[in-house]
Amino acid sequence: MVNKKQIKELLSESACSHNEQKKSSCDKPKPGATSGGCAFEGAQIALFPFADAVHLVHAPATCLGASWETRATPSSYDGENNTFLGYSTNVNTHDIIFGGNQKLEESIEYIMINKKPKAIFVYETCVTAMIGDDMDNIANRMEIKYNIPVVVVHAPGFVGSKNLGSRLAGEAVLDKLIGTKEPTEIHPFGINLIGEYNVTGDMWQYTPILEKIGIKIVSTFAGDGRIESIQMAHRAKLNVIVCAKSLITLCRKMEERFGIPYISVSFYGKRDTTNAIRSIVNAFGDEELSRKAEAIIAVEEEALEKRLLPYREILNGKKAILNTGGNKSWSIASALQDMGIDVVATSVAKSTLEDIDIAKSYVKILMKSPANEQAKLIDEHGVEILLAGGRSLYTAIKKKIAFVDVNQEKKISYGAYGGLENLAKDVCAAVQNPVFSIVGTKAPWEKQI
Amino acid sequence: MTKPLEVNPLKLSQPMGALIAFLGVKNSMPLMHGAQGCASFSKVFFTRHFNDPIAIQTTAVNDITAVIDGGDYSISEAVKNITLKVKPELIGLFTTGLTETKGDDIKGVASLLKDEHTIVYAHTPDFEGGLESGYTKAVEAIIDQIVVATLMCEKKITIIPHVSMTPLEVEVIKEQVELFGWSVYALPDISESLDGHLGEKQGALSSNGISMSEIVELGSSSAVLTIGNSVHSCGTKLCNKNKNMKHIHFDSLGGLVNSDKFYGSLMEISAVAMPHSKTIRWRKRVQDALLDTHFILGGKQIVIAAEPDLILSLSSVLTEAGAYIKAIVSPTKSSSLDSIKTENKIIGDLGDVEGFLDKETLLITNFHGERLAKKEHSILVTRGYPNYELVGNQLKNDLLYEGTAQFLFEVANCIIANSNHH
Repeated sequence: MVNKKQIKELLSESACSHNEQKKSSCDKPKPGATSGGCAFEGAQIALFPFADAVHLVHAPATCLGASWETRATPSSYDGENNTFLGYSTNVNTHDIIFGGNQKLEESIEYIMINKKPKAIFVYETCVTAMIGDDMDNIANRMEIKYNIPVVVVHAPGFVGSKNLGSRLAGEAVLDKLIGTKEPTEIHPFGINLIGEYNVTGDMWQYTPILEKIGIKIVSTFAGDGRIESIQMAHRAKLNVIVCAKSLITLCRKMEERFGIPYISVSFYGKRDTTNAIRSIVNAFGDEELSRKAEAIIAVEEEALEKRLLPYREILNGKKAILNTGGNKSWSIASALQDMGIDVVATSVAKSTLEDIDIAKSYVKILMKSPANEQAKLIDEHGVEILLAGGRSLYTAIKKKIAFVDVNQEKKISYGAYGGLENLAKDVCAAVQNPVFSIVGTKAPWEKQI
Repeated sequence: MTKPLEVNPLKLSQPMGALIAFLGVKNSMPLMHGAQGCASFSKVFFTRHFNDPIAIQTTAVNDITAVIDGGDYSISEAVKNITLKVKPELIGLFTTGLTETKGDDIKGVASLLKDEHTIVYAHTPDFEGGLESGYTKAVEAIIDQIVVATLMCEKKITIIPHVSMTPLEVEVIKEQVELFGWSVYALPDISESLDGHLGEKQGALSSNGISMSEIVELGSSSAVLTIGNSVHSCGTKLCNKNKNMKHIHFDSLGGLVNSDKFYGSLMEISAVAMPHSKTIRWRKRVQDALLDTHFILGGKQIVIAAEPDLILSLSSVLTEAGAYIKAIVSPTKSSSLDSIKTENKIIGDLGDVEGFLDKETLLITNFHGERLAKKEHSILVTRGYPNYELVGNQLKNDLLYEGTAQFLFEVANCIIANSNHH
């Protein structure tokens, strides 16, 4: 059953800095003026990267039919990778009338027998919450019968936003998985990566560096994640929240319950990656570790600078405007600056107060209403590159400047040192591509201005 | 053994079908009555398939309004908020599993709002039917609630395409009918809205399509041409608006034989003895294409997993060149599947496809088939929703003489390219 008390608590998270003031993303969605995903999607984003667990969505056709195999979150798991598979009970009229309990139970049994997963996540959705299927009861019985964890995620879409859904997923994992297994040995520098989903392999850009320094990744929530390691997450020494803030409640509770402190970092761009590594290492306060980290940072930065050189020649001093949302408003700005680009303005229309504060420290002009401001700023400052979502494409074509779609599902990682090179490559390709001015050419039947 | 659950779903929901229908109406705002996620998932799904923005809004039902509201609050609030920013010519209201489970009276709400806004409503819960039936229900609703009854017939033909037809395919059918001297309208007309064109502004409403004033007047068509079993009932509905209107139905327009029927009927109702010279030339090219490709396609084992009308269309083309349809997998039941000769007709999902694949088999399905085909070493040709990987989905045409020829070559070339690698 949906736990209203828990939802209320998650929405007034004491660890959120903006909690004193009203925050729009935690509000109830407004009919006719809402575009974001629902709580179920948030839960799905947070948990689907666990490749060794089967994700069973107890729902009618839309919930999974429209959403499976959509996120590029690779896994190194050598068994059947369930991240990209879709399991749904496909609730029909009969189930609505007579209840979907039996179907759910049979589905879980089918998966247990045929797929032998390390765990099963069962997702409650709007319709199955409405018809009141007793999912917890079934899950408990199945868990005992097969001796494999069956975790019900109570995040039906109508309880709120994606962000809330990720939080509810965090609660489910905390209650049912974390702390249920003990490791054979406890690493002195073990960390959990929280809120890192390994989109396009972002995480793999920096985990080898951390390991080289001597830090052990105990578990990840949930990029390239494994059930067994998240079960032992309580034996890590530090929680590292990567970019996404939605799992802050999980980290606060793990601190209260297991005494694990947490820090929040970003791995976009050179400076932020270096800062992230330093923050992690400093949290341990071990001199030898810090020395090693500094040595490796120096090597990595130097190697990156060498690789960036050809791109710098093209990009250095080029002026750009960034129009995106959330933490990208500053994290990408910082990455662009690292390759010599002059970021004239960034959008803060969809950022939290905390993000706006950080953005201020990177970029001078903050656009509150980018759709109205960016065209003017392009003219005033002689901007040559617009990095934005598809909606701004026409602005770039009209102004005949290069365009990079930063909101599109990216196919390649922009994370950490290696990712910065990828980003530089892509921005360079856009700057040198004649396509924007060719597309902007007037047709022979249009008046030349 | 039948499995109790869906593994790797093929089924797309009714509300998603209704969405496509409303996107083919000019300046419309599809309004999905459900939780925000239903609309958000559908929007992202079609945005990625078409590589273009998709107009849609949601009534954003939450856990409280799900219980205490009968729909009138969230729907009228949504309409109010939408019209604060844009002025849609049509609001296409359609339901989801959530709002049908709670049993909202959308007809009542729509009638309360009808003085100030043009609203069409359709019941499309996602716990029954599928993409085809949702689309059909929305088209029927548009006809029922908007088209004016008449007895007059003008030199005009209405085309009702099935949901799996691409924007270019809709355009091609329109053009071919126009060649016979008719004014032609498609309901819905996605050939101008989802065809992927660079517009000056990316508005919040559907970018183009059939206009509301054109829909109102569709009753005066001399004939309605329905393509695909799933939209047959829409033709009947339109004929109810004018008893002098002829209903011409085609289950499929793929392949030489089906194309012949199409041109035959058009010649008959247009009272002309010869089609356009281009048509005649393309027919000869198809004859040649069939002969050129039959060495490769003859006896080739094919598995198709798609919407029923699309399965029929694709299999009609391939069987003409002698291909062997090993299995078809459809997400929903349909009489479209009756005429297909195959030993394996399955109502199921992509999990059911797996057992039929091997390196001798060619699979035709949406992009989800990629992983499957790779695993079983089958050749894949992608068709149907969704295709997130490839670009240009909106400009594929597999219909009539020209489309048939191009599709035959594409499939044959896929087989050739694949055999060269081994």
